[in-house]
Amino acid sequence: MTDTQSGPMGAGVSIAHGMVDPEVEDPRLGPTAMSLRDVSVTFNGRTAVRDVTFDVPANKVTALIGPSGSGKTTLLRSLNRLHDLTKGARVSGQILLGDTDIYNGGIPTTVLRSRIGMVFQRPNPFPTMSIYDNVVSGLRFNGVKKKAILDEAAESALNAAALFDEIKDRMKAHASTLSGGQQQRLCIARALAVEPEVLLMDEPTSALDPISTKKIEELMVDLKKRVTIIIVTHNMQQAARASDVTAFLLMGEDGAGEQIEVDATLKLFSQPSDPRTLDYIQGRFG
Amino acid sequence: MADTSTKSVTASAEHYATTLPEGRNRPSGSVRGPYEWTLIALSVIFGLVSFWFVGTILFKSIPAFKQQGFYLLVGNAWNPTDGTTPSQYGALSMIIGTVETSLIAIVLAGVVGMGTSLAINFLLPARLRTFVATIVELLAAVPSVVYGIWGVLVLAPWVASTFGPWLTALPGGATIFGVSLAGKSLLLAGIVLAVMILPTFVAISREVIGAVPAELIEASLSLGATRWQTLWRTVIPTSRIGLFGATTLALGRAFGETIAVALVAGGVVQMNFHPLAQGTSLASFIAGQWGEAEGSDQVPALYALGVFLMLFSLAFSLIANRLVAKQRKAAAL
Repeated sequence: MTDTQSGPMGAGVSIAHGMVDPEVEDPRLGPTAMSLRDVSVTFNGRTAVRDVTFDVPANKVTALIGPSGSGKTTLLRSLNRLHDLTKGARVSGQILLGDTDIYNGGIPTTVLRSRIGMVFQRPNPFPTMSIYDNVVSGLRFNGVKKKAILDEAAESALNAAALFDEIKDRMKAHASTLSGGQQQRLCIARALAVEPEVLLMDEPTSALDPISTKKIEELMVDLKKRVTIIIVTHNMQQAARASDVTAFLLMGEDGAGEQIEVDATLKLFSQPSDPRTLDYIQGRFG
Repeated sequence: MADTSTKSVTASAEHYATTLPEGRNRPSGSVRGPYEWTLIALSVIFGLVSFWFVGTILFKSIPAFKQQGFYLLVGNAWNPTDGTTPSQYGALSMIIGTVETSLIAIVLAGVVGMGTSLAINFLLPARLRTFVATIVELLAAVPSVVYGIWGVLVLAPWVASTFGPWLTALPGGATIFGVSLAGKSLLLAGIVLAVMILPTFVAISREVIGAVPAELIEASLSLGATRWQTLWRTVIPTSRIGLFGATTLALGRAFGETIAVALVAGGVVQMNFHPLAQGTSLASFIAGQWGEAEGSDQVPALYALGVFLMLFSLAFSLIANRLVAKQRKAAAL
């Protein structure tokens, strides 16, 4: 809804008149962090996502966009095996992290999830832990005990999440004393502290005010140096502003999400190759 | 803060007073009708009965405190007068028996109950979950005498013939657990109490654990935590206030339980607190002793046991409330 109001046209047009020729600088030319091959997700036999295939370029931001029900979040959650928790959920096809098949490659889920971090829709810091304990919780889960290592990782992660200066004097305070935007950046720091290769972000700004949203979008651009980001967003402007590659998903006739188009963000928002993509980014539905 | 809120209440009351139709417009607090009087009368009845009850127990126990003094709390013999020596009434062995049986019960029920609650929430499919929860709640409603009789007829012989001797035969077992004589023992009472409070504990802890937001569990797992780590460091800490409440409630039930303990503890007043030794508790001793006490100076002493039981329960719930409030505060900050 907000997408329609805020006029994706604006984004598309400004990019169309942009300085770069999208054909020349395809952000996907560099190394690949993850590869999806015919990925389908079914719940008790009902298909929620069907046959998604694309590569996720390393140290870039890849956005998954599409209307509600198009399977963006379902697809994202298959990338760190969170569906393992859901009875009746099945992921088929192949998902590679580097060269490792994350479902059939024998990699333990705990190891996988420390290599692929996640930030959720609503900030979810551990309510019983202090800010510091939240940041280092992932390291502690992975068996790191040395205080010096934890301290260093906490500072580095909080700095990377642009939160350190705001909270450095109250690291022992409960996480719930932070504002919503700060809590979300704390969750980003918590995920970064484990030094993941990939960071999954599931509509990370949907519960935040515009200023906090802007901060996190700016943060994503900086974070690219450190991790590969895959973000699900409802907000097309966000995808246009912050991502390098965009995958557009749409619900098919049987209710399963399908991949319509994956391309460099500049290209997808200016010259989409599928008419349905154009309809969507122009706000004609969704 | 308080000032402004009262003001706004008054303001809205005035607003109502002026906007209500004529005739309904009554100056507040001056005239009371049947509505007010009914509620006042009923609550006064409650107040009087409570006062009567607490007052009687305290008043009737006074002779025992006068007669026995401090011995009533720290003494360990319970000997009515035989005409030549004065009566001795000491509650220590009942107090320790109460604490010991309750502790055994809560430890056993706590461990098994936590496992059960976690399994119900995280392992059972949703359809079975409701079914099992209903069964558990039904078990919590079974009258305690039924648990007691099961304890006497089924569990006691097993403890006497198998479990007791096995514990005694463990290295150091005789020193720690003592020797089982007839099967009835503090340990057996603790086990029966555990079975009895288990459904209560599970009924509450299941709900409390079910209320832990899925997003916290996902946050934990997404950081690379194992499922055990997620239980210990996320699920249990997050639900600790509620789990504490479950423990308190279950412990309260064990504390005041009369019949089941009277049936299986042995009813013996002695200073032997090996789990396999026979013993008694405050509540079960009052009930068991009442028949032969009537008309003697034992009656005030039994009232005094009632006072102790009341005071312990009071102290217990005060401490529990304080801890819960403290944790709430800590969680909110």
